[in-house]
Amino acid sequence: MEIIDKIKTNKSIDNQTEIKKICLDKLQSSPLPNPRSEQWRLSNKSKLSNFLDYSVNKNNSKIDIPYPKNSQSTIRLIIGENCQINLIEKNYSIQQLSEDELQKYIKEQISFFNQNENWSDLLNLSLSCQNNILGLKINGSKIPPIEIFSHASSNSLNAKTLIIFLEKNCNVELLQVNLGEDNSSLSQATFFCLEKNSSLNHGVVSYGVNKSNLLNSLNVIQQKNSEYNLGSLHFKFNYARFEIRIKQSEGNAKTNIKGMQITKKDEQISTYTKIDFDGPNGFLDQINKSLADDKSHAIFEGSIIVPKIAQKTDASQLSRNLLLSNLAQIDTKPQLEIIADDVKCKHGATISQLNEEELFYMRTRGITLKEASKLQLSSYFQEIISFIPVSKDRWDLLDKLLNEN
Amino acid sequence: MVNENLVKDVVKEPYKYGFVTDIETEKIEKGLNEGIIKLISQKKDEPRFLLDFRLKAFKKWQKMKEPDWAALGYKKIDYQDIIYYSAPKQKEKISSLDEVDPKLLETFDKLGIPLTEQKKLTNVAVDAVFDSVSIATTFREELAEHGVIFCSISEAVKNHADLIEKYLGTVVPASDNYFAALNSAVFSDGSFVYIPKGVTCPMDLSSYFRINSGDSGQFERTLIIAEESSSVSYLEGCTAPMFDTNTLHAAVVELIALDDATIKYSTVQNWYAGDEEGIGGIFNFVTKRGKCLGKRSKISWSQVETGSAITWKYPSCLLLGEESVGEFYSVALTNNLQQADTGTKMIHIGPKTKSTIVSKGISAGNSKNSYRGLVKMGTKATGSRNYSQCDSMLIGDQASANTFPYIKSQQPNSEIEHEASTCRISEDQLFYLQSRGIEFEEAVSMMVSGFCRDVFNQLPMEFAAEADKLLALKLEGSVG
Repeated sequence: MEIIDKIKTNKSIDNQTEIKKICLDKLQSSPLPNPRSEQWRLSNKSKLSNFLDYSVNKNNSKIDIPYPKNSQSTIRLIIGENCQINLIEKNYSIQQLSEDELQKYIKEQISFFNQNENWSDLLNLSLSCQNNILGLKINGSKIPPIEIFSHASSNSLNAKTLIIFLEKNCNVELLQVNLGEDNSSLSQATFFCLEKNSSLNHGVVSYGVNKSNLLNSLNVIQQKNSEYNLGSLHFKFNYARFEIRIKQSEGNAKTNIKGMQITKKDEQISTYTKIDFDGPNGFLDQINKSLADDKSHAIFEGSIIVPKIAQKTDASQLSRNLLLSNLAQIDTKPQLEIIADDVKCKHGATISQLNEEELFYMRTRGITLKEASKLQLSSYFQEIISFIPVSKDRWDLLDKLLNEN
Repeated sequence: MVNENLVKDVVKEPYKYGFVTDIETEKIEKGLNEGIIKLISQKKDEPRFLLDFRLKAFKKWQKMKEPDWAALGYKKIDYQDIIYYSAPKQKEKISSLDEVDPKLLETFDKLGIPLTEQKKLTNVAVDAVFDSVSIATTFREELAEHGVIFCSISEAVKNHADLIEKYLGTVVPASDNYFAALNSAVFSDGSFVYIPKGVTCPMDLSSYFRINSGDSGQFERTLIIAEESSSVSYLEGCTAPMFDTNTLHAAVVELIALDDATIKYSTVQNWYAGDEEGIGGIFNFVTKRGKCLGKRSKISWSQVETGSAITWKYPSCLLLGEESVGEFYSVALTNNLQQADTGTKMIHIGPKTKSTIVSKGISAGNSKNSYRGLVKMGTKATGSRNYSQCDSMLIGDQASANTFPYIKSQQPNSEIEHEASTCRISEDQLFYLQSRGIEFEEAVSMMVSGFCRDVFNQLPMEFAAEADKLLALKLEGSVG
């Protein structure tokens, strides 16, 4: 693991900014996450070490965008390639964060970091260089949809960082696409701050090709009366880890999450979510779906934390899983930690295979088994896919998923 | 608006089993080493294989670390500051209950345990364990007529050594976990039950565990074997006096069910929980596990956990036999500064196995109540099913309720369903009951009882009444 050696010796990670130094210092004492900790217990050690085997690449190869750009109104940004933006329109503005604003915000975030929980963030911030960091502040109304792409080049590790401030009262639709190439590792860290009364419809679609790896972390802070909707989809990664940490810092905020991960061959994809309610009247509706086939392994761990201050919280979390092969495995652990007494919290989890009765019914109507399975899967996928904003009309994700089955 | 203080008053109830019996006891010196283990073994006149079992366990224990993953916080236990053997002095051999020290009989009488002849009408056979030894076992002759062996484990070691050697440590091996290894090294007494082939045990069997001494730990071991097509219902109750020190209780329970056998194991645990400041109370670290070895065998755990300062307990089922069934029904009530981390493990290994988990947690005061469970479907568990439900009720805004269900599946042709919810005493329901003339206290009690009904329905008659009474007592206060 070349990278870990470099972190240990602190050599050749040049151009050290203050942030990089802080993160490297934090990593130096224990460069790898504790494999016995809850967050990393099930993570495949050899796959993680494979992730770290590539050398860091600051230059970016040409990205192959999977679907056409449609209307002129959509703003398309590619981290590391074309991410200089300074738009000041009549109704809205999208501006680059200044170096000071970036430093201040990230430093504040790092002060809350926990070595195991935020290891992916620490690694990302120690490795990402200036032209792979995109920081934006958005305000105003009638903001056009935004697409942001990150990708990793073959035989290298790329670290990309995205930071967005949504200022008061603004509504944004944002699609983030993470693409992996053959034998590549992508470390993507995202930080959002949703100010009062703002709302963000966020989509995350991540997919790779043979032997792509991904560490994707997402940190969201929601202020009062903000609304955050996330639709996410992860598939075709040798190893992928999606970490979602959301903090409703003052309560009175709404969060909706619909996520899905699909694993095949010997892939391992995991989703870890942690939702902190730091104020009253918070709302969460979360569903996470996994589908595991062949010899693959899908993992979901979700925790909901409701301290004393978070009275009248209404949170629900559902983990639905399909296990399609004898050699595949699924681990799921939805968990609740509650101290406030006037709350409505529930969670549920199911693991099963395709519904046999439904399959039988369709077959008695002359539909072949293959078609019937496809129909069932499409309804299973549709709930999540329809929640992913921006590219719906141009990118047939459902078709892509079904035809790869 | 529910008056928070009223609810808090309602859940306060002094511990009524907190008295100490003044009886002459024989204790060995404090501390744990090979010499102590040899001494315990010698005192109990044990065969060589058991001493070897103990010493091997002790060696393993020395290499192990105390687990810290549970959501519990307690001061470090000094294992060298505990007396590992304490027994009331009495005549060597007891042929009838008349020879038992009347003080002991009085103690169990006060606890409401039917040991004396006139109370035998209740038709429950009892094995009473006082500190480290078994005092008396009732109804032995009647049970013997049916071939049922029900005695203390010390006697079983002497009289049925073959069975002990064959089964001891097969469900919970000495190396299983820190507390199981400790128990395997120093266990003093406990109950042994053997139900022969085809026999339905004619009466419920019961063990009553009483800690009397403040500085000795209790390490009992229970082994129940149900041969083919047999069935038994076993009840377990526990109390302890009030001391301001913490007493350690680390028990191991092993159940083995062969083809078509059924074991129902019910517990009402009411160890002393410590006072309102959290001083004193029992540290309860228990390993309970059942092995459904035979086809269509069934093991059912039901528990009402109201006592102990710390509870660390996960009664589990290993479902090996085809079509075997595991069940877990639990009510855990914590108050003041009590902490409970309890749940179950259902390991589905054989095909067409089924398991049900119903867990109800009630947390009041500043207590912490966690459900931690594992459901695992192995690769051969085709056509298996699990259903889990865990509900928590919070009383007051200082208590915490956590749920940590671990779910793992490696078998596509199996189904797992889990659901959990959290609620509080509903103001509407309370208002409704009060408007019908039901007193506040009784209304709360009724609602808690209703919340736990799914579990109480699973308890045997004798225990259901006791459990309901126990909860009512805990919820009865100085209101009005």
